[in-house]
Amino acid sequence: MLGEITSDRGELEAILERVFARSQADQTEALLYVSDSALTRFTHNSIHENVSELNRNLSVRAVFGKRVGVASTDKLDADSIAAVVERATEIAKLSPEDKDFPGLPSPAAAGIPHDPPHPYDEVTARLSADARASAVAEIARVMNRHELDAAGFVSSRSDALALGNSLGIRRYFKSTDAALNIKAIGETSSGYGEGFARSFADLPFAELAERAAKKAVDSANPQVLAPGKYTVILEPPAFHEFVGYLSWIGFGAQPFEEGSSFMAGRLSEKIVGDNVTIRDDYAHPKGDGMPFDFEGVARQPVTLIERGIAKDVVYDSYYAAKLRHANTGHALPAPNSEGPLPLNIVIEPGSKSIEQLIAETKNGVLVTRSWYIRLVDQKKTLITGMTRDGLFSIKDGKVGPGLKNMRFNESIVGALGRCELAKELARSDSYVLPAVKIEGFHFTSGTEF
Amino acid sequence: MKFESEAQRALDTAVSHGADYADVRFGLVRDEHLEIRNGVVNGLSDAESAGFSVRAFYAGAWGFASSAVISDAEVDRIAALAVDIAKASARVKGNQRITLLPAGKQVGAYRTQFEIDPATVSLSDRVKYLMDVEAEARAAKGVTVGRAWLDVWRTFKSFASTEGSLIDQELLQCGSAVHALAVGDGDAQDRIFPGTCGLYQTGGYEIINAADLLANARRVGEEAVALLTAPQSPSGTMDVVLSGDQVSLQIHESIGHALELDRVLGWEANFSGTSFATLDKCGSFSYGSDIVTVVCDMTCPKALATHGYDDEGTPARSVDLIRNGTLVGYMAGRDTASVVNVPVSGCVRSEYWGRLPMIRIGNVNLLPGAAPEAALFDGIKNGLYMESNRSWSIDDKRLNFQFGCQIGYEIKDGKKGRLVKNPTYAGMTPKFWNSCDAIGDERSWVAWGTPNCGKGEPLQTARSCQGASPARFRNVEVGVGYVG
Repeated sequence: MLGEITSDRGELEAILERVFARSQADQTEALLYVSDSALTRFTHNSIHENVSELNRNLSVRAVFGKRVGVASTDKLDADSIAAVVERATEIAKLSPEDKDFPGLPSPAAAGIPHDPPHPYDEVTARLSADARASAVAEIARVMNRHELDAAGFVSSRSDALALGNSLGIRRYFKSTDAALNIKAIGETSSGYGEGFARSFADLPFAELAERAAKKAVDSANPQVLAPGKYTVILEPPAFHEFVGYLSWIGFGAQPFEEGSSFMAGRLSEKIVGDNVTIRDDYAHPKGDGMPFDFEGVARQPVTLIERGIAKDVVYDSYYAAKLRHANTGHALPAPNSEGPLPLNIVIEPGSKSIEQLIAETKNGVLVTRSWYIRLVDQKKTLITGMTRDGLFSIKDGKVGPGLKNMRFNESIVGALGRCELAKELARSDSYVLPAVKIEGFHFTSGTEF
Repeated sequence: MKFESEAQRALDTAVSHGADYADVRFGLVRDEHLEIRNGVVNGLSDAESAGFSVRAFYAGAWGFASSAVISDAEVDRIAALAVDIAKASARVKGNQRITLLPAGKQVGAYRTQFEIDPATVSLSDRVKYLMDVEAEARAAKGVTVGRAWLDVWRTFKSFASTEGSLIDQELLQCGSAVHALAVGDGDAQDRIFPGTCGLYQTGGYEIINAADLLANARRVGEEAVALLTAPQSPSGTMDVVLSGDQVSLQIHESIGHALELDRVLGWEANFSGTSFATLDKCGSFSYGSDIVTVVCDMTCPKALATHGYDDEGTPARSVDLIRNGTLVGYMAGRDTASVVNVPVSGCVRSEYWGRLPMIRIGNVNLLPGAAPEAALFDGIKNGLYMESNRSWSIDDKRLNFQFGCQIGYEIKDGKKGRLVKNPTYAGMTPKFWNSCDAIGDERSWVAWGTPNCGKGEPLQTARSCQGASPARFRNVEVGVGYVG
C-alpha cells in the first residue's frame, strides 16, 4: 500500500475485472500501472530539487470488430471506471475500421512470460528521502576532497503493472529500479559517472563519484582538437547515446514495412562488422526488462543483428498478423503510432578489455559521454551530436590530456562496420553494452569548452 | 477557488510540520489525440488525469511530493512528506542556500479565450477531416506514408500558497499537422505542415481550422516525393534565409534554453546543461545584431505558453531578454531570481499537477523586423533558403549548433532557385545571431508553438512558443552533415 494507492496484485486485478464486467465491447483490454518514484537532484554539492510522485493510470482499449478506441484515467472509483469504459467504447464505435487489426491476443497466442532475475527489491521500494540525501552527502564528500562541484541525481522507483484482456490474459509484474548520475565540475573541465540497478544498495556511490572526479581533474585545461577523422573509444554512456536511435528508426516492424528502416530489404545481408551482434533481451541480468509486452504477450529474445548480418526486427500482434511473422512480444501501450519497439537492447561484448583497446590505440580520442544526438538522415542512419563531460586524447596507448568538446557527424551503421567492442558490459539506462572502439570517426567542429 | 478546502488543509499540514513556505497545486488534465496513418485511425485516445502536489520550503531547501489520489488522508500524507523531503534536502546544502522572492498574495482566475469550443466539433467530424487530409497527402504519387493528427489539450489548475494566493486557471491548447514520408532508393524524405511539427497555439478549434491542412496536404506530399530526386544541398559558406518556423526553433535552442536562469546558475548542469550566457555578460554582451530583440511574453495572444499565472503564483508578464542585440535579461523563477536580483518572468511551469515547477521557455518571441518577406532574398547572389526543421543539435552550453531542415531551395541572384534536399547549417550562437541582417515584418510573424520541449529530472515535457518571422543570415556554414 503506497499511501492510498495499492500495488497489490489481487487489488489491481480486481480493478481490471471491473473494467471487463462493465464493458460491452467485443473485446476489451485494460492496463493499470502504479508507480512510486523519487528523485533527489543536486548541484554545487547541494540538494536543490527533491521530489516524490505517486501516480497511477488505467487505460482501456475497447474493440468492436475492427474498430478500436482507447481512453485512460487515473481515477479508480466505480463511476470513473464506468466513464473510462464508456469513452473508449464511444471512440471505438466512431472509429473507422482498420482491416488489418487482428483482434487482441489470446492467452494461447500470448505464451507464458518468465520473470527476469530479481526484478524487485523491497528496500529500494521503500527508500526514504534521508537515504537518498545520505548518498548525495557521500558524493559531496568526494567532490569536496577534490575541490570540485558536483551536479547529478539519485533516484529510486517502484512500479507495478497489471494487464489483462477479455479473452483471458492476466499479467502482473512488480519491479524496482535505482539510478545515479554524477557530473563532477572543475574550473575548466568536467567528468561523468552513472549507475543503474534494480536495487539501490547495488549502486557504488563513492566509486562512481571518484571516477567522475578523476575525469574532471584529468581533463582540466583542455586542448583544442582539429576537426577530422579519428580513432575513438566510446565508453558505455557515450555508446548508448550513439546507437540509441537504431531501435526507433530501424529495429521495429513499422519502419521495416514502410521501407524507411536501414534493415528494410536487407535481411540476411551483412550490414555491419562481423564482430557485432545486437539482441533485444528483457531478461539480461544487468537489464531492467519486463517479461511481457503491453498486450500481455510474452517477450521473446530477438537477435536483430548477428555477427554483422541483419537478422530480424521486433513485432507486436498487429504487425505480426499483417506481415505474417511470429509475434515477438514488443507492443507498446495503445494507442501507439510508433509500432513495436525493442526496449532492452544488448550489444554482445568483444574479447578485449577497454584498457587493452586504449593500449592498442596509437593516436585517438576517448569519449566519456555524448549529448544531444539527433538524426540527420534516417535511411543512412546519419546522426550528429556533441561530446561532453570528459573528452581525452589517446597517444601511444595512453590516455592523455583533456580536449575541448567536439561535434560529430557519423553514420551509426557505418561506424559499426569499423568497430571493435570491449569485453566488459555495463548498463546505460535500458541498454546493456560495452565500450567500443571506432576507426575513422568524423569530428566536424569544436566548441569553446 | 476549486479545491480551496483541500488546498488549505495541505498548507496547514505543511506549516504544522515546519514548512517556512508551501504551495499546493491541484490539476485536472484532459488530452485528446487523433492520428490517421495511411487511411487508418492509428491513434485515437482520450486521456484524463487528476491529482495534486505540495511544494514545501524549509531552512533554505525544497521538498516536493505529489499524488494521483485526492482525499483528506492523502492530502495530509503528501503535505507532510513534502516537508520531510525538504528537511532531508536541508541536510545537504553545501555552500548554497536557496532564498525565495515573495510572490505576494495573488487572488484571481484566468481562462483561455477561444472562438470555437472543441467540444462542439464531433469526433466523427474530426476523423472525417483528418482522413480527407491524410488521403490528400497520399494522393501525391510516390508517398509511402501519410499521416495527419490533431490534439486538444485542456488543463484546469488551482494554486494556493501560504502567502494567501488563491488562483484558478483553465487553459485550452490545440494543434494539428499533416506529414508525408516518401521512401526511395536508399533515401527517405519527410515533409510536415505547418512548420516543423504542426501549428500549436492556445485557443479553441479555430487553431486547427487556421492550419488549413487540407489545402496544403497535396503539396506536402508532392514535395516529399520531389525531394527523393532533388540534388543534394550545397556545402560551404553562404547567405541563408530561414523560414519563420525554422527561426522559431533556432530561437528555442540557442536563445530560449540559454537564457533560462536555472541553467545559467548550474541547476541543470548534469542533464540539460548550463549556458554560455553567464551573468557577467548581462547588459553588455552582443548576443545578436541590433535588429535582434527578443522578449519572454507570457501574455502574448494565441502563443502556446500564454497563461494568467505561472505554477508558483507569479502573474503573466513580459520580460526583455535581448534588446537591440544586447543581452539584458533571463527567464527567472522566485528562487533563481533571488540569487541574482533579476525580475521573475512568470514562466515557472510543470508538465502536469504531479511534477515540480521549473523555469521553462515561455513565449520567447523575436520581435518582427522591417523587411517584407519577399525582400529577404534581395542581395543574395548565391545562397540557400531552408524551411521546417528536420534535426537539431546543440552543445550543453548552447554554443555549437547544427540544424537540418526538411526542404531547401537555392537562391540565385536574389531569386528562389531549384529544390535541394538534406539542407543543413551550423554555427556558434553569438556569431550566428550577429550575422542576422534582415527579419520579416509583422505580416510574416507567427506565434509558432513547440509542444514537446524536454527538460529536468524526472524529465518533463513543456509547451513553449517562439514567435518569429523568416530571417536572413550572412556567411553561414551549410551542408556540414553531408561532407564525407
